[in-house]
Amino acid sequence: MEIVVLIKPIPEAESRLRATPDGRGPEPEGIKFVLAGYDESAVEQALLLKESLPGSSVHAVSFGPARCEETLRAAIALGADRATWVEGPPEGSDDPVLAARALAATLQTVPHDLVLGGKQAGDDEEGIVPGAIAELLGIPSFGYVTDLRSSGPSGLTFLRPTEAGVEQWEAPLPCVVGLQQAWNDPRSAKLPNILKSRKAPILKVDWPTTSTALALEAKPRSIGEKFELPAPRTGAKMIEFKTPEEAAEKLVRLLREEAKVFP
Amino acid sequence: MTPTVLVLAETSGGLLTGPTKEAIGVARTLAGSDGSVAAVTMGGPSALEALASFGLKEVWMADVPPEAATSGAVAALAAHAADESRAALVLLGGTTFGRDVTGRLAVRWGAAAATGVTEVAITGPEEVHVRRPVYGGRATESRRLVGPRTVIALRPHAFAEAAASAGTPTVHALDRSVIPVTEGAARRRSLAPAEPGSGPSLSDATIVVSGGRGMRAAENFHLIEELAQSLGAAVGASRAVTDAGWRPTSFQVGQTGRAVSPQLYIAVGISGAIQHVVGMVSSRTIVAINTDPSAPIFKVADYGLVGDALTILPALTREVRKVRGLPAN
Ligand SMILES: Cc1cc2nc3c(=O)[nH]c(=O)nc-3n(C[C@H](O)[C@H](O)[C@H](O)COP(=O)(O)OP(=O)(O)OC[C@H]3O[C@@H](n4cnc5c(N)ncnc54)[C@H](O)[C@@H]3O)c2cc1C
Repeated sequence: MEIVVLIKPIPEAESRLRATPDGRGPEPEGIKFVLAGYDESAVEQALLLKESLPGSSVHAVSFGPARCEETLRAAIALGADRATWVEGPPEGSDDPVLAARALAATLQTVPHDLVLGGKQAGDDEEGIVPGAIAELLGIPSFGYVTDLRSSGPSGLTFLRPTEAGVEQWEAPLPCVVGLQQAWNDPRSAKLPNILKSRKAPILKVDWPTTSTALALEAKPRSIGEKFELPAPRTGAKMIEFKTPEEAAEKLVRLLREEAKVFP
Repeated sequence: MTPTVLVLAETSGGLLTGPTKEAIGVARTLAGSDGSVAAVTMGGPSALEALASFGLKEVWMADVPPEAATSGAVAALAAHAADESRAALVLLGGTTFGRDVTGRLAVRWGAAAATGVTEVAITGPEEVHVRRPVYGGRATESRRLVGPRTVIALRPHAFAEAAASAGTPTVHALDRSVIPVTEGAARRRSLAPAEPGSGPSLSDATIVVSGGRGMRAAENFHLIEELAQSLGAAVGASRAVTDAGWRPTSFQVGQTGRAVSPQLYIAVGISGAIQHVVGMVSSRTIVAINTDPSAPIFKVADYGLVGDALTILPALTREVRKVRGLPAN
């Protein structure tokens, strides 16, 4: 099975977020970007599938600025066989539909039985890319997937928890899957593999190539205008009490009368 | 400007879902007095009845069994309805289904798109502004969506549900031949319905009660569940709890679990490690119960109780039941 896994560098969880000086977007300066969250799960899932199906390969693909290269190297260190960086526009763009168009233009030229991604990116949380890519490639797509398994050479089974309950699906290949699953302990890379990944070749598809292929669609249509952080929390109001009953009564009163969040 | 706003309507048990009613409410506001609100549904005649009671003028209808309702099939039909209704904007509820369709529909219909939207305004002939939480609720962004067509999935619970208003819609049948043949091979094999008594799921819940290692043992975790039940809340857990196997990983809140942003989050016996906090810090009101007054969780909480969870929880559950008029149990 030729597995493509889509990854996006996102700020590590502990990052202190702030806005750019013009206030329009998050400031990338001083932030460590990593392979994390649902994308990390997607890489883990891709590797598990590869291990269960001899002859399979994993191809990591990332769209965006130059920092994608480092995230792709992280995927290689974990076991991806090859990597492609689809360069974004020089002025930057975080339009998920544009990202999907750029990625699909590249995927059209590489083998892909299964395209795996996180159900959404850990930063913008749009969840638009997997479905949009599938529509562009003309293949089925399934978001919010857990328990993905291959059922022979040309099909998959998986679960999907929805508001109504847990659905069980059978799907043909090729298709696109957005993963909901988050492993607590996805494998970590071994040091020799990290060192090797630094020299691994990464194929670059430059923006002029993509932009020519996309023609009129190469312009973002979703544009960030303002990035705001909430006022920092100032610490809890501590509730004094002598008995558990007093604690309960005081808390319920505050939730009803002050916070107004009591059901 | 007289925009037509098209709502992709979902039904459950013959009734419109909450997120669909929220989308109809937003659509009415956006369409204003001179615009109109239409709907497209895959639910067949039973959905039609539900839609009629919400005053929609026109309904595009297909009868696609849930077993075959892939995002590709639904997007194709919805794009067709959007063309026929000459809509400028398609709104979807923020359900798994709605969010799954958004990206496909955006491409199929040639639209700009956004999901998880908490505010939306039409600001020009080819311009819509949205606001949406990002980074697990740690920040909020405003985006401008440009072009003649826009697809937006709303965030659940961010808007009020539309009130019912009688009407008799004009019905247009959708031609299923627009569904790509490649969609035919995918099949939903079964649906294990959510257990009626199991309470809301973590990501939908307006209240979450989470327990950590401070619950001391798996045998005590029922105290968390009883409080959750009295509040109609979902149950969450820290990773210490899921790692210890007290509860499955699907309960885990945090960096490697679910990100939640309910109205009320009650953290019990949870220290407040950053990997937990990133998954719940955007909750509107946070309560922490912990024996250690210097636990970091008190820095992100709004209300703090320093004390033993094992004695406070039963008292709290009793008080909640009393105030809500529920029988003591
Ligand atoms: C890569 C990575 C990812 C991670 N992802 C997650 C994640 O997604 N979610 C997550 O939760 N963690 C995650 N963690 C783990 C995280 O760092 C913490 O270890 C974990 O959150 C601790 O869980 P806890 O607060 O329940 O336990 P502890 O840190 O042990 O805290 C227990 C608390 O209970 C209090 N307590 C003890 N007895 C009582 C009592 N009787 N009554 C009241 N309070 C009491 C103690 O004072 C203490 O504050 C991750 C860690 C790593 C390295």
